Amino acid sequence: MAIDIFWRIPTHGEPSSLRNKLHHRGDWSQQEGDHIVHRGLAGGGGDGFNSLDYIAEVARAAEISGFHGGLIPSFPMTDEPWAISSFLARETSTFRFMIAFQPGFLNPVTAARMTASLQRASNGRGLFNIITGGGGPAQLWWGDVAPHDDRYARTTEFLDVLRSLWKGGSYSHQGKFYQLENAALPEQLLGQDFPEIYFSGSSDAALVSASQHADFYLSWLEPFDQLKEKFDKVKEKTDKLGRKVKCAVRVDIVARATEEEAWREVRRGFENLSDADKDRYARFAQQTGDSVGANRQRSNAPKNLDNYQDFILHPNVWSGFSLLRGGQTNGIVGSYEQVAERLDDLVRLGADSFILASTPHLEEAYRVGEEVLPLVQGHSARNSVLRAVG
Amino acid sequence: MTIQFYWHVPTRGDGRLADAAVKLRGERNDEQPYFTAGVTDPRGRKFNYYDHLHQIGKAAELAGFDGLLVPNDPEGEESWIVAGYLTRNTRRVKVLATFDSARGSAVYAAKNAVSYQRFSNGRFAWQIATSANVAERRANGDFIEDADIPQRTEEFVTVARHVITETGYSFKGRFFEVLEGGFKGPLSGQAVPQVFLTGQTEADLAVSAKLADVHVFEALPLADLQPYLERLQELSAKAGRPVQAALRIDLLVRETAAEAVHDAARQARQQGQTALPDKAGLWALQTPGAGAARATLVGDADQVTAALEEYASAGITVFQLGAVPALEEAYRIGEQVLPALRARLGLSQQQAA
Repeated sequence: MAIDIFWRIPTHGEPSSLRNKLHHRGDWSQQEGDHIVHRGLAGGGGDGFNSLDYIAEVARAAEISGFHGGLIPSFPMTDEPWAISSFLARETSTFRFMIAFQPGFLNPVTAARMTASLQRASNGRGLFNIITGGGGPAQLWWGDVAPHDDRYARTTEFLDVLRSLWKGGSYSHQGKFYQLENAALPEQLLGQDFPEIYFSGSSDAALVSASQHADFYLSWLEPFDQLKEKFDKVKEKTDKLGRKVKCAVRVDIVARATEEEAWREVRRGFENLSDADKDRYARFAQQTGDSVGANRQRSNAPKNLDNYQDFILHPNVWSGFSLLRGGQTNGIVGSYEQVAERLDDLVRLGADSFILASTPHLEEAYRVGEEVLPLVQGHSARNSVLRAVG
Repeated sequence: MTIQFYWHVPTRGDGRLADAAVKLRGERNDEQPYFTAGVTDPRGRKFNYYDHLHQIGKAAELAGFDGLLVPNDPEGEESWIVAGYLTRNTRRVKVLATFDSARGSAVYAAKNAVSYQRFSNGRFAWQIATSANVAERRANGDFIEDADIPQRTEEFVTVARHVITETGYSFKGRFFEVLEGGFKGPLSGQAVPQVFLTGQTEADLAVSAKLADVHVFEALPLADLQPYLERLQELSAKAGRPVQAALRIDLLVRETAAEAVHDAARQARQQGQTALPDKAGLWALQTPGAGAARATLVGDADQVTAALEEYASAGITVFQLGAVPALEEAYRIGEQVLPALRARLGLSQQQAA
């Protein structure tokens, strides 16, 4: 079985390289914890262009370069993936829209109709990154009231309803969260591919839900031994329930012609950090929150923030990415060959799919697609020696 | 005076001229070859109904309409997906998505709407209408009582409007809740989608006076419509905010009145009607599919233009027009009715987006 490699859509805008934190693609910038509108490239001005035009460029770059599609994230301050997908369905060809969303935000019948319609509009290119994590007041910001533990039960029930409607015919349901009477998808929406489901969440409740509905269990990059443990647990648990869930890793990379050049990129970014950036990182590293995944990432933070090399966890694995841009801490840094080798290492640990990202997403989609993807062996390299696991 | 013309986009399929049958133009299935074995088919399954929807959107824009009306047809394509698809592929027209207030979190709807606004430079609008049919609602997972619908609509619009226009907004109602909500940074400063509401009851009109930018009336003879228009005006004056009146009406226009009557009669017979009018005017003729108007203006271009002018003179400022087939008739109406009507009403021929 061959692996799938996706790209990621930078809905938060982005700088022109990791060396610089000033966002000017898309239409926003981040300064001192608050977000201000920064009219840079594609600034939504009177010329009729807006940030979606840059996003469309990235999506086109990803499909031209050989990626399956891209993860379209959902954050409080960024544009929504359902909107992006419906807008870009027609001007892309093979790009698959991985829509990140929380089931609790939509009526499941509405969601089923949206999904089937998007499949028709895009020739079956929609898939989901189902998110349930987080919790507390943040959830009420979105207008959602269910408590944390209940929310995985709701995710499960939501996806049950979606799958039942998908089969066609009339469907009634009396559940804890949803009630339907003679619901049905219209004839013209039937027969589409059900979206593949990438599932996130590290808690036990998440794993129970994943074992019923996930096609891919999606994790951030973690230290390789921890990741192997996690994947083994997921595969064991889901195998027992009769549903074989595959695993996927969402990871940022810096790939250059030589390892030295790759590290130089990281070092420059690190040296350009302000004290305020480092303070913010230190505060993040001390927090604890409801998300098990975010807590696991914090546990690897070094004590002092003076040398970028203190963030190296394994050969080619650097844990300081969240200093350079928002998001997860760990990423892969190296030559094209090394990055491909580390991805193959992850395949041996159980990964069947990747969501890669690199800044800036437009140029790097071409670079990674042209230089790194052709070197990745996937499962065809299963018998070679495992190099980076320590 | 500004008058806006919206064009109805049929999401469950389109038809032939004055024919009750509906088909998904452009779609083919593998079981039945579309051409005989004697004719090669170059296209296979390359196209589907979305290609036709795209054509309709383009046609309406080229024909000079100001907006597209995307209905919430439970038997058709989902309205927000269609709206996004059409918005990206048009330049100027407003895109009015119809949906019900049971679609989920009002904050999430508002947040998606903000993206639609950002991606279209403010061309997105909302028509919120919850089905009056209990069975239809329950099939949609919605077990609300009839009497509660206006309040839910009100809460939905209230929450949406506030999270779009301010931050730190909290609300706890019967149907929706939000804590410290509101969109920041690039998502701030977007226009709230224009809100269209529907219904002919006193309660419906009262909600519109309070919240709607536009209230949409079903097609009725002008004399029957007049009291509603007056009531809306009273309520809106009392509320101290202007509410525009819209008319949802379908058209069957032909070169001559006789042709129009002939075609209307054929469609009416196909739909099982027996007592048919014998002259141009407002017929109780429904184009197939949800979102169809309750009645159809039948006549030649002059007659239909004159009838629409009367509605405009009575206070209608937004027309939601439709006809079958949507593509061909968008051109006909755009060529033969809109320019004449705009001229009579003293409107400029091309509205700004």
